[in-house]
Amino acid sequence: MTNPFEDPDGAYLVLVNHEGQYSLWPSFAEVPAGWTVAKTEDTRQACLDYIAEHWTDMRPKSLIEAMGD
Amino acid sequence: MGTAVKSQLEDVWPLSPLQQGLFFHALYDSGRGDVYTAQIALDLVGPLDAGALRAAAETLLRRHANLRAGFRQRKDGGAVQIVHRRVRLPWHEADLSALAPEHREAEARALAEAERLRPFDLARPPLLRFLLIRLAPDRHRLVFTNHHILLDGWSTPVLQTELFALYLARGDDAGMPRPTPYRDYLAWLARQDRGAAEEAWRRALDGVDEPTLVAPDAGDDPGAAPPDRVRRLLSEDLTAALSARARAHAVTLGTVLQLAWGVLLGRLTGRADVVFGAAVSGRPPELPGVEQMIGLFINTLPVRVRLRPGDTAANALTRLQDEQTRLMAHHHLGLTDIQRLTGVAPLFDTMTVLENYPSDPAAAGTDLGGLTLETVDGYDATHYPLALAAVPGRRLSLRLDYRAALFSADDAARIMDGLERVLEAIAHRPDTPVARVDVLDGAGRARVLRHWQGAVTGRPQETVTGRFARRAAHHPDATAVRSADSGEALTYAELDARANRLAHRLIGLGVRRETRVAMLLERSVDVVVATLAVLKAGGVCAPIHHAYPRRRVAWAVREVRAPVLLVNTPMKDRAADLDVPARVLVVDDDPELAAQPGTDPGVPVHPEQLAFVLFTSGSTGDPKGVMQRHRDVVDLATDALLRTPAHERVLVHSPHAFDASVYEMFAPLLNGGTCVVAPPGRLDGETLERLVAAGDVTGLFLTTTLFNLIAEERPHAFARLRQVLTGGEAGSPAAMRRVLAACPDTDVANVYGPTEATTFTTFADMRRALADPDETTAPLGRPLDDMRLYVLDAGLRPVPPGVPGEAYIAGAGVGRGYLDRPALTAERFVADPFGAPGDRMYRTGDLVRWRPDGVLEYLDRVDLQVKVRGFRVEPGEIEAAVAAHPAVANVAVLARADAAGVKRLVAYVVPREDVDEAELRRHAAERLPEYMVPAAFVLLDGLPTTPNGKLDRDALPAPDYEAAAEGRAPRTPEEEVLCGAFARVLGLERVGADVGFFDLGGDSITALKVVTLARQAGLELTPRDVFTHRTAEAIARHLGDGTDRLGLEVLLPLRAGGSRPPLFLVHPAGGLAWSYLRLARHLGPDQPLYGLQARAFTRAELPESVEEMAADYLEQIRAVQPSGPYHLGGWSLGGLVAYEMACRLQAAGERVAFLTLIDAYHGQDLGAGRRDVLPELLQGIGVDVREVAPDGRPDIDKIMALLADRGDALAALDADDLVNVYRNYENGVRQAEAYRPGRFRGDVVFFTARRGRAGLPTAADNWGPLVDGRVLDHPVDAEHHELLEPRPAAEIGAVLAARLAAVHAGRRRAPRWESR
Repeated sequence: MTNPFEDPDGAYLVLVNHEGQYSLWPSFAEVPAGWTVAKTEDTRQACLDYIAEHWTDMRPKSLIEAMGD
Repeated sequence: MGTAVKSQLEDVWPLSPLQQGLFFHALYDSGRGDVYTAQIALDLVGPLDAGALRAAAETLLRRHANLRAGFRQRKDGGAVQIVHRRVRLPWHEADLSALAPEHREAEARALAEAERLRPFDLARPPLLRFLLIRLAPDRHRLVFTNHHILLDGWSTPVLQTELFALYLARGDDAGMPRPTPYRDYLAWLARQDRGAAEEAWRRALDGVDEPTLVAPDAGDDPGAAPPDRVRRLLSEDLTAALSARARAHAVTLGTVLQLAWGVLLGRLTGRADVVFGAAVSGRPPELPGVEQMIGLFINTLPVRVRLRPGDTAANALTRLQDEQTRLMAHHHLGLTDIQRLTGVAPLFDTMTVLENYPSDPAAAGTDLGGLTLETVDGYDATHYPLALAAVPGRRLSLRLDYRAALFSADDAARIMDGLERVLEAIAHRPDTPVARVDVLDGAGRARVLRHWQGAVTGRPQETVTGRFARRAAHHPDATAVRSADSGEALTYAELDARANRLAHRLIGLGVRRETRVAMLLERSVDVVVATLAVLKAGGVCAPIHHAYPRRRVAWAVREVRAPVLLVNTPMKDRAADLDVPARVLVVDDDPELAAQPGTDPGVPVHPEQLAFVLFTSGSTGDPKGVMQRHRDVVDLATDALLRTPAHERVLVHSPHAFDASVYEMFAPLLNGGTCVVAPPGRLDGETLERLVAAGDVTGLFLTTTLFNLIAEERPHAFARLRQVLTGGEAGSPAAMRRVLAACPDTDVANVYGPTEATTFTTFADMRRALADPDETTAPLGRPLDDMRLYVLDAGLRPVPPGVPGEAYIAGAGVGRGYLDRPALTAERFVADPFGAPGDRMYRTGDLVRWRPDGVLEYLDRVDLQVKVRGFRVEPGEIEAAVAAHPAVANVAVLARADAAGVKRLVAYVVPREDVDEAELRRHAAERLPEYMVPAAFVLLDGLPTTPNGKLDRDALPAPDYEAAAEGRAPRTPEEEVLCGAFARVLGLERVGADVGFFDLGGDSITALKVVTLARQAGLELTPRDVFTHRTAEAIARHLGDGTDRLGLEVLLPLRAGGSRPPLFLVHPAGGLAWSYLRLARHLGPDQPLYGLQARAFTRAELPESVEEMAADYLEQIRAVQPSGPYHLGGWSLGGLVAYEMACRLQAAGERVAFLTLIDAYHGQDLGAGRRDVLPELLQGIGVDVREVAPDGRPDIDKIMALLADRGDALAALDADDLVNVYRNYENGVRQAEAYRPGRFRGDVVFFTARRGRAGLPTAADNWGPLVDGRVLDHPVDAEHHELLEPRPAAEIGAVLAARLAAVHAGRRRAPRWESR
């Protein structure tokens, strides 16, 4: 079974949720509730590069706030 | 038949490809011939001239030569159809008009059913029958039954038309055109360009390397029952919309249906690239008159539907049509040939047919002299688990035939619902991705997404430190941690204080909230103290595996950017000179620790903060650090299933760096229980038993591998535990059953879960699951509290129960991701479409499925599952066994087909240290049933991987059997024969005289073939010779050693060596003990094993009774073992004889330490004298009596020929001995009936054949009243006569090994067995 997240030729989105967590997402599937599109359709690698660049603090936003930094 | 046949012979033709396929299947499934029987019934309303109808049928047979054909196999294996000049018309009439009207229909159906179930003999034409039933003076039913090899569904209306045209002419065909002979079609076939067709099909199926099966376990045997059927009439609107859709994209309705079936099939199988069969008419338009021919033209061809998730219905339709068009000219190739091109057979197990038959005589309104036709029903031959038929019309009519043994009526209805939803989507939403079509209805979705998930508890989010503080305050004096052997123990208050001091020290060294602290600790109480201390300081535990090489340790410390590396004294040296920026702190030898305050440092901790970073192996390159939060640890520890008394005192023995340690420490600590810390080192069964007793342990976790190992060698080691959790790989029900049987007060739970979702995600109580004796796998159960596990397909849609899908885990326990790997985290921890807004789910990469009752089942790499010699083999199981060898660093096992198409298991091994193939084989053979031992071990420096980190199977080299098979050339004629026989059965060019047969992939089955071949070449050889001597050289040297004939001696040594007292097993009714050879290898090299065989092979008179046999055999065994303790057993009749021997030995004052009865019962009415013994004896060795003698009177030559053909062991017998087997059997049944057993003092180890045991008592009922000890019953999933087939024999062997080990161990300690 080909996993929809593993298609090197597939079209993907980058999603982000309210905690600032990122998700790779195949563009054929509907965007789940609570997530917004951070990067519109692109290649898998471009999406992963985008995430690597933008997701620099992997703590959820609520924790960052609670820890006060 | 001889000369009579010749005079009748009109012609001899080859078979068309489809005829060949059917011929093969019909031979293979002989006795199930009705599966290939088609039938139609026509009601004839009005005045009927029965004589004219019969005359019409006569003429029909005369006009169509192919309806007079019989089918025979030629010596070379090929088949021919022999057209007889004249055949008698099988015409029968039945008059039911005198019956009460309400009984007529039932009786008529019963008659038709009987017709359908009466098999055809392919060699005896005609393969069709007419039955005319008179229901009333003006109402008749014509039932036409035929073998599918004769004509297809397209021919039926042609046949009807012609039959009734002839009826009108009273059988005179003078005015009718001559039909095109079937021979012309066969000639046309012969003219086709086979090479071009093969090339086209090869291209079309390129890359298809596994079958698309909805019922992978169904086997090839369709059973005798006709398929069940569900029908659906689509609305006019939908029908019109589908036609419009087809027109809009310039495709046929057939293509639309095929796409719909392809989409649905993808959902049913969890695949994006599916293949199924489609029936094509197969009538070449260039053949004049082809539409009016009656015969078999129809062909079943593969249709491949490949779907990418983004595909819309519109582009998928166009692509499919293009692909189909390219194949149009190549429809003449047979399915068997096509499958051979792909190397995958069968390619599929579902099929579709669009029944656009040319004409319909009933609808044509032909004037039949006042007679009108009504089709009652047809029965179409099919042997597929699912077959979809569509009949075009104003409302498209769909019909799904399904095998009731594989699908319920509900399943079939759901499949039909799903198909209708897919058709609607294609019709109305051509531009939406087909992946979005949901085949589940609302209730089905709710079931898999909500009802079958973990309980929603509403637990508050907590921290490990907060909850621990509350437990410590609540019962400060309770024992929190204890060393299992040294006696060192800490109360909650003491643990708290020690952890606080270390926490203060860590803070002093710069540890802050979320600071990672590297830990390299040898197992001791310190591990618990240090773990808690790091968390109290606000830090994150980053335990490093103590087996990591030095460079890896340094890498890990740097990777987590730890300012501190915690070690204890035994690990101190390992931390020296690591060249890392971290400060090394020796927790049990730090002078400043004592001065630290024992109070809580009061660092605020948030439930979202990390508690652990655990390294798991990455499929490529470096390990990755899995981040688990405080709340994840608390959620695991406070799950309802882990807060039970069973986890009050848990053994801490897993490596600290392994996620099981999270359970081991915190399930007790956060619930007020005690961690019982095992001493350093690996656990074995004996140590485990000792530690459990010393530490009063109630629960523990073991990896599947360790559990299986202990289950095998020491199942009672768990007896004092309340619960054992096991998981990590596919669990072994046999191992679990062994433990459950040996430990009646212990529960076994199968747990599953990746580290990323915090240790355990699902839980299954195995005592309950395995109470069902039909259970053959260890299910995963259901998710824990607040956890969810979705089974999704490639379109991220939930799959229906029964369908494999990938496991995605959501809810509690899904951690933060991978340390410092945002991209990797974002591709594995992804948006959850089914949870609360913004939730994430973890994509496991594991294939699982829901069972219909909502229990999850692990499939592992379902795509790698292979069948070897008919047995389902999970390469993972073999990999685990091979990997258990200390010299093996990594291993991959797969089944490879060699040039001859023979599938063999090959193990690719990456060694850690020097090891050779022979050693690995020995190791594997000790742990696996014989059919699972790889045929070749290939040593590699590393396993090749694909760019996305998976094993690159295509890059694995084929094993060089030929090189392995070289060796010295044969020197004697005997060696020549043997080397030739080896080579032939193994499919090799040549085999050296000094090379071991089993080292080349030989097994017991192929060994028997060697014997048969050798005997044909004049060498007297027994299977035992091959097993004992192994090389052609050694076998040849020992030829003629045996004084007894052919292993027919009364006392047959199956394994003579070994230090233990021997086990004697008495033959079953047939008289031979050869089958016990299968048990020998499971009993280990130290266990001598002898078989006792009937006298019938060495003398004429048969024994009178069980008692007489027992007395005779006792003399025999005393020659080997003059005094007790004795170990005895037997299968079937052999069990009764062994029982009698045991009683006699006890009466003589001897000790009987072990008695096993393999499915043996006394006092049963076996029907001796009135039953037909031969067919069942033959069935017992897998021969269908009808194969050798349709009249039920087989002659011995035919049986011998058949056995030789099949390479059966019995072929090594001569005809007289085979007769002796028969005499023994008949005699044995009588003796078993007459035998009246006495009392036995001791336990009986019993094996029950669970299948086909109608009317038999249970072991307890049958033997319990006679036996002073216990009757220990082990059910085995097989029929009585199959018990010593490899798989059941492996099961029996394992139990016997364990039981015998217990007996021998018990004797070493205290000789108490004889005291009963």
